[in-house]
Amino acid sequence: MPVFASCGEALVLGLASGPACIAACGPVLVPSLLTERAGFRPHARYLSAFLAARLLGYMLFAVVAWELGMLASMLPTPRLLMMGVVYVLLAGVLLWYAYSARRSCVQPCAESKLVSIGQKKNRGLAGAASLGFLTGLNLCPPFVAAGIRAAQQGSMAAALLFFAAFFVGTSIWFVPFLSLGCIVRSQAVIIVARMAMVLIALYYLSMGIAMLLGKKVYGY
Amino acid sequence: MATEARILPFARPAPRGIVWSLFLTLPILIWSLLMMIFHPGASPDPLSRISGVITALFMTTLFFMMMRTHSTYRWRRIFFVSLGVLFPIGFIHNLYVMRGSMGIPIEEMIAGRTPFCFMPIPLLILPAAFTKTVIFPGSIGSSSHGIASMVGLWLALTLVMGKGWCSYACFFGGIEEGVAAIPARAKIRKLDPRLRYVPWAVLLAMVLLSLAIFEPAYCMWLCPFKAVTEYVAARNTIGLVQNAIFVLLFAGLVIVLPFLTKKRTQCSWFCPFGAFQSIFNKISIFEMRIDKDRCKPCLLCQNACPNLSLSKESIAHGETLLSCMKCGACVDACPRQAIVWHIKGTQIAWKPERARLMFLYSAWALAVMFGGSIIAQGITTILHFIV
Repeated sequence: MPVFASCGEALVLGLASGPACIAACGPVLVPSLLTERAGFRPHARYLSAFLAARLLGYMLFAVVAWELGMLASMLPTPRLLMMGVVYVLLAGVLLWYAYSARRSCVQPCAESKLVSIGQKKNRGLAGAASLGFLTGLNLCPPFVAAGIRAAQQGSMAAALLFFAAFFVGTSIWFVPFLSLGCIVRSQAVIIVARMAMVLIALYYLSMGIAMLLGKKVYGY
Repeated sequence: MATEARILPFARPAPRGIVWSLFLTLPILIWSLLMMIFHPGASPDPLSRISGVITALFMTTLFFMMMRTHSTYRWRRIFFVSLGVLFPIGFIHNLYVMRGSMGIPIEEMIAGRTPFCFMPIPLLILPAAFTKTVIFPGSIGSSSHGIASMVGLWLALTLVMGKGWCSYACFFGGIEEGVAAIPARAKIRKLDPRLRYVPWAVLLAMVLLSLAIFEPAYCMWLCPFKAVTEYVAARNTIGLVQNAIFVLLFAGLVIVLPFLTKKRTQCSWFCPFGAFQSIFNKISIFEMRIDKDRCKPCLLCQNACPNLSLSKESIAHGETLLSCMKCGACVDACPRQAIVWHIKGTQIAWKPERARLMFLYSAWALAVMFGGSIIAQGITTILHFIV
């Protein structure tokens, strides 16, 4: 398959799958972004780290997909196990993030304008990168479709290129998340974001454990 | 106008005359009769007719007492607790008649046979915006088209009343309000103010998760009222876990904590729909205001508020918090009449009784239309058991 056609297909697949990607990443991305400092630059920095790590996850998956050609024949059980591990790790990172974000608001006070968020200018991006990497391994249907197409490429480089184009297509949908930087940060916003992170982490944890134990999540 | 505000008496006003109170009640009487007895869809069943009459009289009498005594909260509470208690009775009876069980299997859900509830409304917005799909496959009566009209009706009423919905229309809050009324004094008095943020966190988490998993996450995992309405038919471990969560949340937030704190803890500390409704308090023209010139402050209002919607800071600012449900408890509790019903854009304490009447007419019209029909259904169910 010509490279351009392949890249175009991946890009269109990514663009079409964007809403599904932001829906899948929203529970992780929105609360963690809300614990960051307000403003365009901190959010751009966070999103860059998140997306770069997500690209890494994509690339890793592309290599595996091409090398093993496994996705097309991937059995439900190992896929469930992999998802279970990813969910448990995601829950762990979210809980850690919620805990570490307690210092985001350095001066507890009633007046939001007096609250200074994120005293440290260069707050570590390990959390953003971890979350990005783990969501990059999320086996949502468009991602699996991209994996199958990548596995059919003529070389590993083509598979990597396919996933890179797919990544670009989906990443455009993440740009609106920068608007969260406009929300004024106060003690209330930080607390709400942290609590939401804990709730979401508990959901992922329960789902992850259920998947690892081989329990049916749906079908009640 | 300022002079008029200052000459408001500090003592509670004397009861209104019976004739004048009856005159003020007349619109509600007519509305109740129209809604409960004379509407075209009224059931020909004699027991339904009887329950309609009882409900119309009940709602009209309560409104009359509000007019006569100038007191709002205690009469509203009688209605609200009745609604909270009678709703599960009628609802569960209907489920047994239709399905033979309170548990809903997945096939029934997919077929859209889940009775529609307003709680997932905030969870529907993002999936509907992205995919034009309603992720709550519910129905009203025999038609799924009713959902759009239900959401439209909710929106119209919410724009007028703001979070007043939670005091005059929600059929869930009555149970905890009833439980909170039982003890004479609260056993737990010191409440962490940060708990007020939990409903917002639940709202944020549930909205995001609902979009991610494409189903109303709150209804599937966290709704305490599944314990007394329609739970998930448990066919596996996950189903059992879900039901255990429902029962534990109901026991904790609707029974135990309201008894210990004398507050509506589920509404104050958990309900994501309540948090969502709070946003509309910014739009609603009705609000509660505190006349700082008259306020002592004795904090009786803060203690009386069932929803933790007053803090020392907000009282100092002369206003309630965003979560105010406009139930009137603070107004009734204030010995100096410093808290008043207020219409935005007017001066504080300018003809507060007029503002109260304007709010109560719209709120009680909603209560009769929405809650009244539920109360009537509950009474019909009881009558069917007795007769």
